[in-house]
Amino acid sequence: MSLKDLLSPFFVWQRAFEKPWTNMRPIEERPGAPAYRGFHINLADSCIGCGSCHTICQNEAIDMVPVEEFSGRPGDSGLRPRFDYGRCCWCALCVDICTANSLHMSNEYTWLARDPTDYHFTAGVEEKPWQDSELGYHRAEGYHLYPPKRIDMDMLTADESVQSFDEVVNGYSEEQAKLEADRCVECGICVATCPAHMDVPDYIRSIRDGDFETGLQLMYRTNPFPATCGRICTHRCEEVCPVGITGQPIAIRWLKRFIVDQVDSIDYARILDSEIIENGHKVAVIGAGPGGLSAAYYLRKKGYSVTVYESQETGGGMLRYGVPSYRLPDDALDKDIDYIISVGVDIRYNTIIGKDVMFEDLLGEYDAIFLSTGLSVPSSMRINGEDHPRVLSGLQVLADVARGKDPGIGRKVAVIGGGNVAMDAARVSRRLGADVDILYRRRISEMPADPEEIKESQEEKCNLVEKAIPVEIMDTGSKKQVTIKWGEAEMVQDPKGGRPRPVLQEDRMHTETYDCIISAIGQGSNLDFITPAVQEQLAIEWGKFTPGEYQRSELEKIFVGGDVANRTADAISAIEDGHHAARGIDRFLKPGAYAEN
Amino acid sequence: MNTVDEILDYAIEQEQQAADFYAELALRAEKAGMKQVLLDFADEEMSHKKRLLAVKNGKHELTPEEEVLDLKISDYLVEVDATDDISYQDALIIAMKRERAAYELYTDMAANIPDSHLKEVITGLAKEEAKHKLFFESEYDDRVLMDN
Repeated sequence: MSLKDLLSPFFVWQRAFEKPWTNMRPIEERPGAPAYRGFHINLADSCIGCGSCHTICQNEAIDMVPVEEFSGRPGDSGLRPRFDYGRCCWCALCVDICTANSLHMSNEYTWLARDPTDYHFTAGVEEKPWQDSELGYHRAEGYHLYPPKRIDMDMLTADESVQSFDEVVNGYSEEQAKLEADRCVECGICVATCPAHMDVPDYIRSIRDGDFETGLQLMYRTNPFPATCGRICTHRCEEVCPVGITGQPIAIRWLKRFIVDQVDSIDYARILDSEIIENGHKVAVIGAGPGGLSAAYYLRKKGYSVTVYESQETGGGMLRYGVPSYRLPDDALDKDIDYIISVGVDIRYNTIIGKDVMFEDLLGEYDAIFLSTGLSVPSSMRINGEDHPRVLSGLQVLADVARGKDPGIGRKVAVIGGGNVAMDAARVSRRLGADVDILYRRRISEMPADPEEIKESQEEKCNLVEKAIPVEIMDTGSKKQVTIKWGEAEMVQDPKGGRPRPVLQEDRMHTETYDCIISAIGQGSNLDFITPAVQEQLAIEWGKFTPGEYQRSELEKIFVGGDVANRTADAISAIEDGHHAARGIDRFLKPGAYAEN
Repeated sequence: MNTVDEILDYAIEQEQQAADFYAELALRAEKAGMKQVLLDFADEEMSHKKRLLAVKNGKHELTPEEEVLDLKISDYLVEVDATDDISYQDALIIAMKRERAAYELYTDMAANIPDSHLKEVITGLAKEEAKHKLFFESEYDDRVLMDN
């Protein structure tokens, strides 16, 4: 070693007094290019926490974290993306996939912090200087990583559909179903919204995989009516589907139907593992509608001996007698019900409780009872002349048609009401060759019927007359005709809030003569079969039960569900009520099995 | 009835009679849940009575000038009987029609009374009845005319 090498460390010290050769920060801040992929901006109010950004991120730089202020919003997971800038590679795939188009990037790229954990942040929730930056990478308008438009469903035209009671919707082919399934981002927002919490992303994946048997198994975990719901479900899942925010929602209902249609009912027992271990308990179910049969199915799978009492000659309730076959063909409904029966559910048809079998006898004979008797009594208009023989009930017309009977409506019909029964009565009348006016007290936008029912009834040339209030039914002197007097309404804001109320304008009255008038203004329950002593112990408000936890009534043996116990009055809610009650009855009758909970 | 007190006593008595009517009907009601509904109606009438007592005692003022929305629902409905098996719909129809009859009675009385102060009081009572009618008609609109 030379002397210079030995002394050089001491000479280094002279550098300490020299001007630095490097800059502490760049002399000039250089802004990022206008479309630079800089720090993330999330419009947290528009974001619905679908987690597509998290799923697509190849570096696992995004976690979805709960944010209190967004918790509990409908169609929102309550989660928001949290970025780890130690991992992010600024590829912008998260921006490109964002279903709500809430995620962007600013053109900011400098951020100094001493603590490395500072570089983890929840965009749009934690204040950052670049949150309001307009520059930076935004997804180009019209650019999507998945097709925004759903695969069109092959349907009969309106002109074709009114010619018969054939099913209007033809269903997807396998190729179409796979293309539609490919659009799903698997976020699961739909699962939380579906009353039955069906595992939608996984059964849609089974279509992509071509594994329809797994799809069927997944559906039966929470819904024993997939063929039915694949056709007439109110599909609230689609209303919250994030793909629908910037495009059209995934056709979840049609995909469900596709899976069921691929599997022959002969294979159900093998696929769904029908082995049942009897547990010795007996449960009675009153009403063989979707709520009652759902409870029966899940109770039977748990080993209960289940007897269903049904007043009609076959099962299905409103699905059978209230939903016309052009929306739900009998063979689709039978596919669901036949499998439920095949697992050992005993249905006693044509049996009226309170007449053929006494309610108090059931209370003594069974370990638990599930009541799901629906809303079967049509509401009356209570206007003068309503008892005219040419005034028919919408429910009766639909039931007659379901039984293959001619309801005798004639060629010119007025339907009163704006719910699904009214729409179906009108569309059935069109198929029977009648011209139809639908009179509704409020505006079309306030009709309680499903929007697609309203749209299709209009396409089928039902004449929808809004703000029309019936005031009197008058005899024409002919047994084949009837006249209705109705007045125009003005919508007036309710001083106490809520939806506007129609007010009759007595100076704007109309009369019109029809071959018949079909009244479909609503339905109520008939609980007369329950003995008064029992009725007094049950909480019943305006004809409906008010169930507690697990659909239990005030009497420990009695559980309730379906339209007679919920506000939504749709099939999927009834199905979930039945499933929920089955779990409740199981907890009630086998408390030891749940002791650890 | 020539004085304000006499008119108010009459109105208070009418509210009490209405409450008694619903309470008695509740005792007879056979349909599930109807007892409670009718007892709620009776409570509603008692709250009307209380309000009129407050008017009589000078603690509350009638508002004869107030415009009250008239939905005209009960005007075109048929009369129904207060039977033991009365339904929700019919109970509401009875309630609406009773309030309507009271409103019309006070309106007619006000039209035939020359004394301006008394006329004002009776018109105030008519407006009270119009509000009660609106209450029951709104219930009917929400609960019975759901699909219409």
